[in-house]
Amino acid sequence: MTTVNLTLNGEAISQQVHARDSLADVLREGLNLTGTHVGCEQGACGACTVTLDGMAVRSCIVLAVMCEGRTVETIEGTRHTEPMDIIRRHFHEKHALQCGFCTPGMLMMARDIIARHPDPDEATIRSQLSGQICRCTGYAGIIAAIGSAAREIRETN
Amino acid sequence: NHLDSGPELASFRVVKFPALAGDRVRYVGQPVAACVARTRAEAEDLAALVVFEGDVLPAVIDTRDAIKPDTTPLFDGWPDNAFIHATVSEGDIASVADAPVILHRQFKMNRQSVAPLETRGIIAHWDYRLDELVIYMSTQGPHLMRHSLAQTLGLPEHKVRVIAPDVGGGFGGKNRLMPEDIAVCAIALTCGHPVRWIEDRREHLIAAVQAREHVYDMTLYAERNGRVLGIKGEVFVDAGAYSLWPSGPYMEASMAARNLPGPYRIEHLEVETHTVATNKAPLGPYRGVARPGACFAIERAMDELAHELDIDPVELRRINLVRASDMPYRTIGGLVLDTGDYPGAMEAVVEMVDVPGIRARQQRGEADGRRIGLGFAVYTEQSGHGTIEWTKRKSRIVPGYESATVRMLPDGTVQIGVGILNHGQGLETTLAQIAAHELTIDPGRIAIRHGDTNATPMGFGTFASRSIVFSGGAVAKASALLADKIRAIGAHLLQAPLTSVVLKDGAVHAGPASVPIAEIARAGNVRPEMLPAGVAPGLEMTATYEPPDSGGVFSYGVHAAIVAVDPETGVVEILKYAIAEDCGTMINPMIVDGQIIGGVAQGIGTALYEESPYDASGEPLATTFGDYMMPCAPEIPTLDIKHFVSPAHNTQHGVKGMGEGGAIAPPAVIANALTDAFRDIDAKFKETPMTPRRVSDAVARARESLR
Repeated sequence: MTTVNLTLNGEAISQQVHARDSLADVLREGLNLTGTHVGCEQGACGACTVTLDGMAVRSCIVLAVMCEGRTVETIEGTRHTEPMDIIRRHFHEKHALQCGFCTPGMLMMARDIIARHPDPDEATIRSQLSGQICRCTGYAGIIAAIGSAAREIRETN
Repeated sequence: NHLDSGPELASFRVVKFPALAGDRVRYVGQPVAACVARTRAEAEDLAALVVFEGDVLPAVIDTRDAIKPDTTPLFDGWPDNAFIHATVSEGDIASVADAPVILHRQFKMNRQSVAPLETRGIIAHWDYRLDELVIYMSTQGPHLMRHSLAQTLGLPEHKVRVIAPDVGGGFGGKNRLMPEDIAVCAIALTCGHPVRWIEDRREHLIAAVQAREHVYDMTLYAERNGRVLGIKGEVFVDAGAYSLWPSGPYMEASMAARNLPGPYRIEHLEVETHTVATNKAPLGPYRGVARPGACFAIERAMDELAHELDIDPVELRRINLVRASDMPYRTIGGLVLDTGDYPGAMEAVVEMVDVPGIRARQQRGEADGRRIGLGFAVYTEQSGHGTIEWTKRKSRIVPGYESATVRMLPDGTVQIGVGILNHGQGLETTLAQIAAHELTIDPGRIAIRHGDTNATPMGFGTFASRSIVFSGGAVAKASALLADKIRAIGAHLLQAPLTSVVLKDGAVHAGPASVPIAEIARAGNVRPEMLPAGVAPGLEMTATYEPPDSGGVFSYGVHAAIVAVDPETGVVEILKYAIAEDCGTMINPMIVDGQIIGGVAQGIGTALYEESPYDASGEPLATTFGDYMMPCAPEIPTLDIKHFVSPAHNTQHGVKGMGEGGAIAPPAVIANALTDAFRDIDAKFKETPMTPRRVSDAVARARESLR
């Protein structure tokens, strides 16, 4: 076991991990942060998206030991924060989820897309979202929610 | 204990599907051993030490070859590799044998995975305080899982509790008893601590329920004017190696055969079906069950016939479609289409896609060398079918009803327990809307509870587009019974005759006087002295519901797609996708649209991307999302949806089920659009998914044959 020191959702923590543990497994199994969902473990579906030093990453293909000295934020860390509350509300209003399994990863990626593209057109949202799989919605509500959330965030800033 | 599965038919060959394989392993991914350790990683280390020794038998992979005489039987004593051969026959196909036009075509829908984003998973432990087995599992039907697991484990049902807390998608694939479920529970019963198995994506793609693999060999008999007289065909369903509890693979074949005439006025049908065993993962239900294949076959064949006769494909459908004035119409497949205007829906879609504009664009050609194609398809979706239909199917379980318990609490808020299970269909919302309508209160004061066999009344779960009809009906019925009692108590509190009071806006009114539901709820629950004589305390009603005619009510729709396709690379882009559909009364239009769009996205996956191929030795070739192509946001177009509303005569509020419909038509629509794009060279599109390779091969073959 190795000790990893990192900042997780704003709090400095030390966690014992195995060298082979993925960040997703450590979050879910070791830290009980089960909001990060695991859909493929191959970096293909995006359900496990978290941020690492502010950048969206797939936590299933990040080794936990690589997080030494770094900052991780999971979906749990975004509760009652802006702009995620706005994005979350638009997801609700636009029927952007059905089973909800992809939703934590979608929200993390939505915030990342809006940060990088404050005024995204539909084609931009679609291509930026191409690494996230949703099996239920056909993406329509998700794309609409990101577009309308971006607009509200732009207008309130 | 072994549970028999499949239809209760003497001609169906029942086989044992052991939780862990015995002396013979029949497909890659069949569980042979279970390893238990403190963590998944340690269990996988242990599994890596397990050595498997066995003799290799010849693999049976090709669906049609499987039932040839010299093929190795998968099961000892079987004369051939078929679970069942059966014929569906109505009318007299021989009477049209000398029809002026006879068109023979073959179509194939390849095997695919169901692939909800959440894989399967199960946790089981013996609760020593309550002396019961507690099972958390990702299932579409906790009550049926309790029923089957209790039997396989030899436990009385009151000692088994199944909880499905928040299921991450099912689409049919989480509606069967699987060997891993039995194994995990059996281990939990012996080891004294909780046991967990979470399927990983590789396991899912290899060994979870697979779907869709059908071969159609069909002949259309028609007049020169385009009237279709009869269909003769052969359907091969590749069921994989085992039959899954409860209903096994035969339903696919009978549904495929009975849906083959589609919504057309055809008078003669004869379809031979073969439900074939191969060395592949067992076939199970997936959104649409058999109908995407049947729709692909008939709708492709209709286009082929149109081209043969030089009639516009839309016109050919106009000639043959069931008309509004024909309703109710019994198809030659024995399905009674109850209400609707099928030609009206088709004309609406024709308008939505601007046919003359597309034809002009095709004439002009594209600067990038791509071809433009336009395709149509019509589908029907049987929903809300109950006892009559399921007994006709000889089902071991007859999901002929649903139940609901509506309980008003002392403050006037409501909890409703339902036997159905929501896993993305929005049932918490729609069922609350239905109860709110009956009770005249805000839906926000109603909580729907599902997914725990200890907390909800008996139900069959969510599948077969049945929830809104059955569970919606049960909620409406139980809520109406409760509303009656509320009116009785309210009348007493107002000292008014029962006949003079009305329940509206959350209060019982007698003229200008009124008493709010919260006050009635308080009286009914905690102030029994305020109740009228002869009215028992308590505000809880349970009802079961089944529609009076249980043959089912039919949603339907017409889809159209405009595609652009590169003839060299075979890459297909959907430029426009239009839908006119009719699912009767819509309880929540936003949820209806969500179900349509999600279904179409899955149908586009079937049409263009998703495939679970096997090599000749039975090795599955798509085992990760790297080689199993899931449609993502850039692949799914924005849909243009128009609704028709023809309420069912036969259900509460005129609703019809509609969860599966979106997934039925897309393979047919897109194949017809591709065929249209290459009409000049007559390229053939008769197999899903229409991957770039298949499309460019079809174009190359067509060019070759012109040479």
